[in-house]
Amino acid sequence: MSQKRKRSDAKSPVNSLTDHERILYNLIRSKQDMGIWSRDMKQETNLPDTIVNKSLKSLQTKNLIKEVVNIHSKGRKHFMAAEFEPSKELSGGAWYADGKLDMDFIKIVRKQCVKHIVRLKVATFEGISDALKRSGIFKEDLTKQQIEEILRAMVLDKEIMELKSNGSGVFNNIPVGKVCYKCVKEGGSVSEPRIGAFASIPCGVCPQISLCTPDGIISPKTCVYYTKWLEF
Amino acid sequence: MRNKVVIKTQISLVTQYGIEYAVHVITDHFGNLISKVCECLLRRGPLTRSNLKRYTELSDSQIKNCLLVLIQHNCVQAFAVEQTGGFGEAPRFVTQYLALFNNIVHRMRFSKFMKIVSQEFDGECLDLLEGLFEHGRLTLKQMFDRAKSAEKEGKPVTLDYVQEILLKLVTARYVERCPAPEPVLAPKDEAPAKKRGPKEIEEPKTIEQEVLEAAVPVDGIRFSVLDPDVDGEKKDIKPSSMTAREKRKYDALESDEFGTTATVVYRANFEEFVRCLRYKACIDNVRARLDDGAATVLSAMLDATRNEETEVRAKRSASLSLSSIYEEVIKTEAGRNMTLEHLRASLTELGTPPLVKVSDDSYSIEFEKIIELAQLEEMESIVLKRYGQDAYRIFRLLSREGRLMETEKIADVTFVEKKETPKILYKLWKDDYLHMEKLVLAAARQTQFMLWKVQKQNLWKHILDEMFHATLNLRQRLAYELDQEKELLKLPADKRTGALNNRNIRLNKIRKILQSSQMKLDDSIMLFYDF
Repeated sequence: MSQKRKRSDAKSPVNSLTDHERILYNLIRSKQDMGIWSRDMKQETNLPDTIVNKSLKSLQTKNLIKEVVNIHSKGRKHFMAAEFEPSKELSGGAWYADGKLDMDFIKIVRKQCVKHIVRLKVATFEGISDALKRSGIFKEDLTKQQIEEILRAMVLDKEIMELKSNGSGVFNNIPVGKVCYKCVKEGGSVSEPRIGAFASIPCGVCPQISLCTPDGIISPKTCVYYTKWLEF
Repeated sequence: MRNKVVIKTQISLVTQYGIEYAVHVITDHFGNLISKVCECLLRRGPLTRSNLKRYTELSDSQIKNCLLVLIQHNCVQAFAVEQTGGFGEAPRFVTQYLALFNNIVHRMRFSKFMKIVSQEFDGECLDLLEGLFEHGRLTLKQMFDRAKSAEKEGKPVTLDYVQEILLKLVTARYVERCPAPEPVLAPKDEAPAKKRGPKEIEEPKTIEQEVLEAAVPVDGIRFSVLDPDVDGEKKDIKPSSMTAREKRKYDALESDEFGTTATVVYRANFEEFVRCLRYKACIDNVRARLDDGAATVLSAMLDATRNEETEVRAKRSASLSLSSIYEEVIKTEAGRNMTLEHLRASLTELGTPPLVKVSDDSYSIEFEKIIELAQLEEMESIVLKRYGQDAYRIFRLLSREGRLMETEKIADVTFVEKKETPKILYKLWKDDYLHMEKLVLAAARQTQFMLWKVQKQNLWKHILDEMFHATLNLRQRLAYELDQEKELLKLPADKRTGALNNRNIRLNKIRKILQSSQMKLDDSIMLFYDF
């Protein structure tokens, strides 16, 4: 169970809590950076709804607790003691803001990475990391893990590719065997992956192909996707 | 104890729609009666004539004629199985008929095969090959007669000349002698094979593989042409490199099964065409993945190792030293401006992922890896088109990892919203793209994790089946479009004016797009099925 805060300051809001508020506050604080869902509080404390709601409001106005977003269940009211920051499980990690993937931020980081890789032609992880630091675009430096994560996702999107240095040509000054990154398309433009033969005909993307038979209700003769495809 | 030949009815990759497609091809080329017999064999596996009669309810002579046509066109192979008789009876041989799925599907690829030969040989060779495609199998005499009937003025056709052309094609392995008409399948010993330490586990052979192995003559005979002038002495034009064992088998075959030149029958060697297309697919893939330099190097390596290859689906090529690769590279026009350093750089490029593997300073092509990557690319583009960018990224992650991964982890790596990730994974799982496992941890609070991975084997087979289905659909749609405009097609070209002309242009466009899609889709089918 939680420990009582030892504060001499008599004006501290903690000292002016009602019994119910104190029970709830101690419970919330005990959950540290994981916080707790309001319904779980009701269950754990056995207090009636009205009292819990009222106490939570009061604790909030006293700035002792805050409401945080739980990315797994955004509709739930989730509370945490004011001094904690939401854990990765709760917030989603460095790429999340207000319970949502921070797409704008991610896009900027990706764009910056591409920019440096294009400039360097082939770049090592350290090269990219240094260039990002020197650019001064980000208020806080990205962690090694963050850069790794971004590069990995870009490889999965076939925006950049991984290759190993052979020590000569564009790899000059890069030790042999070192993993490097290169843009898949010249100039770093995002390339549409090559569409295979099957995916370029209607049947390749048809959600109903398993129901399609020569003389059935869905058939190549009457298929609307085909008709659209063969419209000239 | 009765010796039995273990008969597996189907090779693993022949799918439901694969069979439908094969039956469609046969119906299209030979009509309903023959396709009925063929379908029965494709669906039920090898059958005797009496069983065929029972299942198809056709008459004896109908079945015989259908089988003869199918054998003539290399779509069916007969074989005999020894069966021990009852008490006091001598063992007897029972003839069974096996439909050759691959050869049936190859019928739609004749134009591709012709294109390969046209890059190497002139018109006469193409004419001869065309004859073989059209008639299935021919003797030299028949080839001569055929050439004679198409003889142009001032260019008389002689038997020697036709034989010379045939020899060219046989030497290049595009044409081969037909396999034995009815090989005997040796009964299997049921005693386990000698155990000699750990050995690579081989997959059991399918009945098709066994029969073909027994039927196809050794290479020395398979790729040889008999000289018709010297019947008595049996003077051959054949590759001289024959081992003593091959020679013995050759002489034995000459005296009984093959007899004199009059009965030696030739046919197109589909295996060689498939090999060429496999090489082409590898080169094209490397070019798209890396660059022209890497493709030139790979192509040179293929040229240098081609003769040492024994199987069409070889996992890797023979090894080559750097200098022998360079020697081969500079033979080609594209490779002439390559320096040794350039070659080294290209080989390093080919080294990750290992499309070309190095060990002890020698290089070998990893066919399996190249084909696998090409298949993956095709699969990925299907996922992208069907399920979108996020699913594409997830699928690429899982197929690259090749192991189980947890939902949360997948969401983190792929930058997909945590609430969206399970939905996408579920959709992919429902459509059989993924395999899912639940992991329940009984800690303070019971937690359940979902783990996912790509179901490669099943998925590949499933997609192949859909591709056969789609090819069938393309053909059916084309037939339908042509049928809709049959009145228009009956009109002479000069009568198709105004609105009729527009309809004609539209029909031509449709025909073009449907046919070219079919050809391209067939490349993908080969990628998944033949390579």
